[in-house]
Amino acid sequence: MKDKAAPSGSKLTSGRPEGLIDPVSLMKIKSMELRAKVIVEGFWKGIHRSPYHGFSVEFTEYRQYSLGDDPRYIDWRLYARSDRYYIKKFEDETNLRCHLLIDHSRSMGYGSGSYTKSQYAGTLAATLAYFLYTQGDAVGLATFDDQIRQYMFPRNRPGYLRRLMLALEADPEGGSTELGPPLQHIGELLTKKGLIILISDLLTSLDRLEPELSYLCTGGHDLVVFHILDPAELNFDFDSPALFQDMESRRNIYVDPSDAQKSYKRMLRQHLARTESICGNLGIDYHLFATDRPFDLALLDFLHDRMHCHKRIRHRGRPKTRRTI
Amino acid sequence: MSFLYPLFLAGIAAVSLPIILHMIRRQTRKRVSFSSLMFLRTTVPRFKNRSRLENLPLLILRCIILCLLAFAFARPFFPREEGGKRVPPVKRIVLLIDTSASMRQTGIWNQAISEAQSVLKGLNPTDRVSVMSFDQGTETLIGFEQWDAMDSARRSATAAGQISNLSPGWAATNLGDALVTAAEAIEDDEVNDERQKFATNRIVLISDLQKGSSLEALQAYEWPEALELEVKMIAASGLTNAAMQLIANRDHLAPTAGDELPSVRITNSPDADVERFALSWAGEDSEETSDRGMEVYVPAGHSVVANVPKRADYSEPGKLILMGDDHDFDNALYMAPCLTHQVNILFISSDKAGDSKGMLYYVHRAFRPTGAIEPAVISRPAENLTDADITTAHLIIAADTIATERIDSVRRYLETGRTVLLVTKSIDTAKTITQIIGIETIDSQEAEVDTYAMLNRIEYKHPLLAPFSDPRFGDFTRIHFWKHRRINIDDLPGAEVLAWFDSPQDGQAHNDPALFELRVGKGSLLILTSGWHPSDSQLALSSKFVPLLYSILEYGGVFSNRQLQYFIGDHVPMLSSAGSASLEISKPDNSVVHLNDDEESFTQTDLPGFYTIRSSARDHIFALNLPASECRTTVMPIEDLEMLGVSLAQPSKYSAEHPELSVGSRSTRAGHNSSFAGMESEQKIWRLILIVLLAVSFIEIALAGWLTRSPTNLEAEKT
Repeated sequence: MKDKAAPSGSKLTSGRPEGLIDPVSLMKIKSMELRAKVIVEGFWKGIHRSPYHGFSVEFTEYRQYSLGDDPRYIDWRLYARSDRYYIKKFEDETNLRCHLLIDHSRSMGYGSGSYTKSQYAGTLAATLAYFLYTQGDAVGLATFDDQIRQYMFPRNRPGYLRRLMLALEADPEGGSTELGPPLQHIGELLTKKGLIILISDLLTSLDRLEPELSYLCTGGHDLVVFHILDPAELNFDFDSPALFQDMESRRNIYVDPSDAQKSYKRMLRQHLARTESICGNLGIDYHLFATDRPFDLALLDFLHDRMHCHKRIRHRGRPKTRRTI
Repeated sequence: MSFLYPLFLAGIAAVSLPIILHMIRRQTRKRVSFSSLMFLRTTVPRFKNRSRLENLPLLILRCIILCLLAFAFARPFFPREEGGKRVPPVKRIVLLIDTSASMRQTGIWNQAISEAQSVLKGLNPTDRVSVMSFDQGTETLIGFEQWDAMDSARRSATAAGQISNLSPGWAATNLGDALVTAAEAIEDDEVNDERQKFATNRIVLISDLQKGSSLEALQAYEWPEALELEVKMIAASGLTNAAMQLIANRDHLAPTAGDELPSVRITNSPDADVERFALSWAGEDSEETSDRGMEVYVPAGHSVVANVPKRADYSEPGKLILMGDDHDFDNALYMAPCLTHQVNILFISSDKAGDSKGMLYYVHRAFRPTGAIEPAVISRPAENLTDADITTAHLIIAADTIATERIDSVRRYLETGRTVLLVTKSIDTAKTITQIIGIETIDSQEAEVDTYAMLNRIEYKHPLLAPFSDPRFGDFTRIHFWKHRRINIDDLPGAEVLAWFDSPQDGQAHNDPALFELRVGKGSLLILTSGWHPSDSQLALSSKFVPLLYSILEYGGVFSNRQLQYFIGDHVPMLSSAGSASLEISKPDNSVVHLNDDEESFTQTDLPGFYTIRSSARDHIFALNLPASECRTTVMPIEDLEMLGVSLAQPSKYSAEHPELSVGSRSTRAGHNSSFAGMESEQKIWRLILIVLLAVSFIEIALAGWLTRSPTNLEAEKT
């Protein structure tokens, strides 16, 4: 399902679907773990029963049915062929690694509402971590600005999620945005294939993005990009001239929004298009999120993409990308 | 329309500044923190769009208020016009003409008259003029009221006629006093005539501006700010001017020998081009020189002292003439024989003139003829004293008791301001004191001096004893007094003791009055309680005796203010008539002036030459010459006037080099503005502007309040 709801606070505000949790209300929950839990459990409740249980796992091999196994996993085609009961063995028994790559640069500290992109990104990361962790996946965390600042190895042990949530609750240091070195570093750190979820505003030069992402893809990693932007960054709907200050470079320029909006949007569209193109060329799932988008919708999109990802044959060409604005 | 302070109109330009800022609305104060400027470019500030000018009426009203405020401060006025033309500012002018002796220089006076005539021709019908002449004093020929009362068509002609009758005198130049008098006349006219309160004030000075002019009066005078001085300097054609001054004998008491030649100082002007001159005598009534001439050499800017040429008889008045320079007004020096006065000294005593044991002997020797006086000591025993003796005396010294029948005459003598010295040779002499001052009795006794008494506690501040105040002359301790009379001054009200005796008596020191004074009417009765003859004291033998007697004589006004030389303008003291009813004084122009008995000095000294005092006794001649200052004909730098605070109409080099010190420019501006200030003060347009400003302010306040109360209207307009 596609969400047609527009982010709140922008010119295109048109309300959000019923049953979805307002991010503003969610952000009032101080505990990241609790916040993620609310989102995930709310999500499950919304869909009653998860047909995606164990979705993140991949079928790897058969084993003979034993008394007590879940008959849902009996491969009936194989029984028709062999007249024996066999159970599909999934990857959850082989520990899938997921790496959450969170942008903690200074630009992520911008927020036109009551919370910043960094807080939204952290909540999104926490939601995905909670979801994956409860699914039995190993989840790790890396924060970066112009370099990796913090790294937690993917694990699925009791108490580790708590540590991960605490790490996500910490305020970012805030340097300038630089994608190349952190991605390169991650590529060096990850020895085994896994899922890399990049959460960033990508407000930087994209020149090194493609080669670094390509390197990661070549290494067999599965990448998902969550492009987080504030509604004010997407619409630039300021009403009066002012001195605009870059949060990272501290540079000031005088801007009259009524004159600058058009060119701003054009340049932004070009940037987004190029980002999408890069991801598409590399087969990376790309999601553009406004920070007023409900988290459960983001989770839904993520799951939907993962389901389609399992069914399609990976080949060169453009995979499906989704922009949810 | 004109403005009194047009600089305030610059405030109108400041009104545009908030409008421009209002239109730009750069609002650089507003800052917005944004994630990244990678998609933003700098925007050029532009004027507000139409939607931001919703408060245009308020803006216009506020601009009007500021403009009105600037107008009010600029003080607008409408210059006076008559017949379609602007009336020039009214001028108040004092025409000050120098009539001192230096204006007699060759060719100067005609130029001065011509300048005065041209000033009168250049007057406007609305100008107020006063004409004054000055030399030592200032005289008003035509006052401002008199000018105003005259027919306007005939004013200039009348003034010109009066000026043409002027001629230079012989007095010195008191320029400072003349300028102060003229300035005060203008100030008085400002106060008296409100119609012309804001006229331009000016003094037009026509003078040779010689260096000898006195400027003392300007030193203590604060020159009015709105008053200018225009100097029309009259320059003499010739540069060389030499003058003579008689060098007076230092000791006017010493007799002059008949063959001693007087000396004169000859001064030559600094810019002279002639240095050789000739001195010669002229007769009393003739300008012709005698055969005897003497050449003198005086370099330019220097002076030389020379003896006068020889004459046959110096006992007669003589006129010394200097020849060789360009201006002869100061080339005559009048020299009269020394004016001696006969002084009658009446000595009342039975002493013989040749008796050295008596007091008279020493009086004769003390009073000798000098260059100033010819004393005649008249000795009379008390019983032979007559009223005529008393009235003709210039000083009475009584050493005996005066007869009762002569007491009234002596008292009258004292009351006219004369002096009597009463020497108490015996205690009986004290009786004279009681009779003169009119008391019953007085305690008087002979002091019993052990050895000798000395004078002490001397009142040197008293005019009688002031000549002895110098420590070199004030030691009286060497004079021993063997005897003296002790008089109880407590019995004499008003007695002033001038000296005391330090007298050892009965082994104790006593202080008895030695010399005391009693005032009787205008005169003075001096009592000396010891004689100066040898049996009484050593006073006659001391060096203090003669000066003391002459001091007493001078204290009695015998030759106070005596001098050998007199100058134009001096008051010549006349010796008291000593019996004659009045004096006649014959002036050089042969006019005669009568002086009454009560006139102590002769003041009509306006002509140089010889004056003759004709009295019943004998004729006395004295000479009057030009003041030396009037002979300094070099032109005074005009900066000297500026440095005394005078505002000049034509700025000098001094004021150009020192603009911060010169008041000329301020005075010019003050004068220029005074008439405009007057018009503006009459019209007071600024009040009307302020009333309009208040009305506009009320409208602005009401409009702003109404706009504030309807915000929905504004919001609707904005969207």
